[in-house]
Amino acid sequence: MMNCKTWISRWPVGLVVMFVAVTGVRGDILKINGSTTVNPPAAEAAEILREEKGMTIQVDTQGGSSGGISMLGDGLVQLGMASKPVSDESRARYPAVQFKQIHVGEDAVALVVSRDVWEAGVESISREQMQGIYEGRIKNWKQLGGPDKRIAFFNKEPGRGTWEVFAKWLYGSSKKAPQASFPEVGGNEEARNKVASTRGAISQLSSSWADGKRVFALSIKLADGRLILPSNKNIASHQYPMSRPLFLLSNGEPKGEVKTFVDFLLSERGQALVRKHGYLSLDQLQ
Amino acid sequence: MSFFFTALAAFFLLLMLFLFVWQSLPVWRQSGLAYVTGESWYFRQQEFGALAMIYGTLVVSLLALLLAAPVGIGAALFTAEILPRRWRLPVKAAVELLAGVPSVVYGLLGILFLRNWVYDGLQYLDLLSGDTLLTAGILLALMILPTVMTLSDDALRTVPAAQGRAARGLGLTRAETAIWVSLAQSWRGMVSALLLALGRVLGETIAVFLVVGRRDNALPESWLSLRPLVEAGQTLTSKLGGSEINIAYGDPLHWAAMVGLALLLLIVVAGITWLGNILMRRKEGESYASLH
Repeated sequence: MMNCKTWISRWPVGLVVMFVAVTGVRGDILKINGSTTVNPPAAEAAEILREEKGMTIQVDTQGGSSGGISMLGDGLVQLGMASKPVSDESRARYPAVQFKQIHVGEDAVALVVSRDVWEAGVESISREQMQGIYEGRIKNWKQLGGPDKRIAFFNKEPGRGTWEVFAKWLYGSSKKAPQASFPEVGGNEEARNKVASTRGAISQLSSSWADGKRVFALSIKLADGRLILPSNKNIASHQYPMSRPLFLLSNGEPKGEVKTFVDFLLSERGQALVRKHGYLSLDQLQ
Repeated sequence: MSFFFTALAAFFLLLMLFLFVWQSLPVWRQSGLAYVTGESWYFRQQEFGALAMIYGTLVVSLLALLLAAPVGIGAALFTAEILPRRWRLPVKAAVELLAGVPSVVYGLLGILFLRNWVYDGLQYLDLLSGDTLLTAGILLALMILPTVMTLSDDALRTVPAAQGRAARGLGLTRAETAIWVSLAQSWRGMVSALLLALGRVLGETIAVFLVVGRRDNALPESWLSLRPLVEAGQTLTSKLGGSEINIAYGDPLHWAAMVGLALLLLIVVAGITWLGNILMRRKEGESYASLH
């Protein structure tokens, strides 16, 4: 029998064995990263698969959609989450990676305001008005028929899916958006908390996060004067201008555990999770 | 053996420095010194000027030091001079525990409480939101307070007790002894404590990131103006911690500009740490001298 002393004298060997054992187990982790919008249903799906199939799944939201795309591109994760399509530049940047977009649901970008603005009667905004805010021409809610209060615009970080969809609506393409220096917010949680805790605040936010209690989604005033709310009906029919698809991204056809995860999110149970978190499931789109 | 590890550390530091310089070459080539002095950062127009971020970093750090120094040194005077000996260690241990709290916890506390306190407390200044350089400065001051306090306490304890007794014997009051003997003898240690704290402040990312507002190009109209303190700004670290790095990847110039920020940060932090070490060493030399 080996006594304690010899074990200690051989601790480097033990360390190596432990290291191999740990990394061996770690190799089976299914890593997912990306959009905070896609995260809630994906994280819950991961929880269910963990319990039912014993899979080890790690879901993270570093850097939002573009973080998901670049980490998938670098091979750091097996699945990305994105609330915008993969751009041609991203594809060109990772020529060896075959980005496959798996449509798992639909969502919209809402423009949300804080309670004081909402209660003062600002309930809709037009594209021109939003451009005015973004370009710094409109600085006070008075100019939009609201209270005499400076507009605190929290801009989503560049690279966030929400920002890309917003910029595309406002200027036709995110590349045509003028450079602006506003305080920035990252994930949906941060955007919602900061709007809710600031008077005269407005920001872009995934519509399902607009709870109507702390932050309030504005209708979009179209050129013909119609007001379009980001409701499920208007998102499904694409009447609401900032509707967007939600994607899981894989490198090539999903295989193995990646396929298990994708199939689960596309199954009736997975789609129910998508609906549960306020997004539109695929069958609601037809 | 210790030489080997020192050499290893030096090797990695140099390697890092080399990597940062090498990776940031394109931006130095494009802008030269204007990269440091440029006032606008518009990455889609390929304009990279880091001045606003350097400004933000310096303002936030100075603010943190100005707030933490009097309180930290005052608390150290209390523990070293006034607190009974048997209470000193428990108090010190508790304070040092605070120094080990992860910065993200401070950041979340900042979001939960400090942001709103600053926003509501300074409402007469018509703040746009609670995310300001001031908020970040206060938060950082709270984070470094334990470090400042415990190191200042150590510095005060290096003053030989005989000197204090002699001063008291000469008729100085307790307060006079604390100021004219203890503080006067240990100010170098205090300065190096502050410099070490400054090193942490400069490199702190996540806590600042959560409350600074992350607004680009926030430069004051006049360098002496205090208005930017209550407006959102950007520091070197909050820029590096954001999602822009994901966009920069793949565009050589943009990437170089981001790595350049890391290089600037490294240079500043290394400089400060080096200064702190020099002062620390002098202080040791001095206390040896006073023993003989």
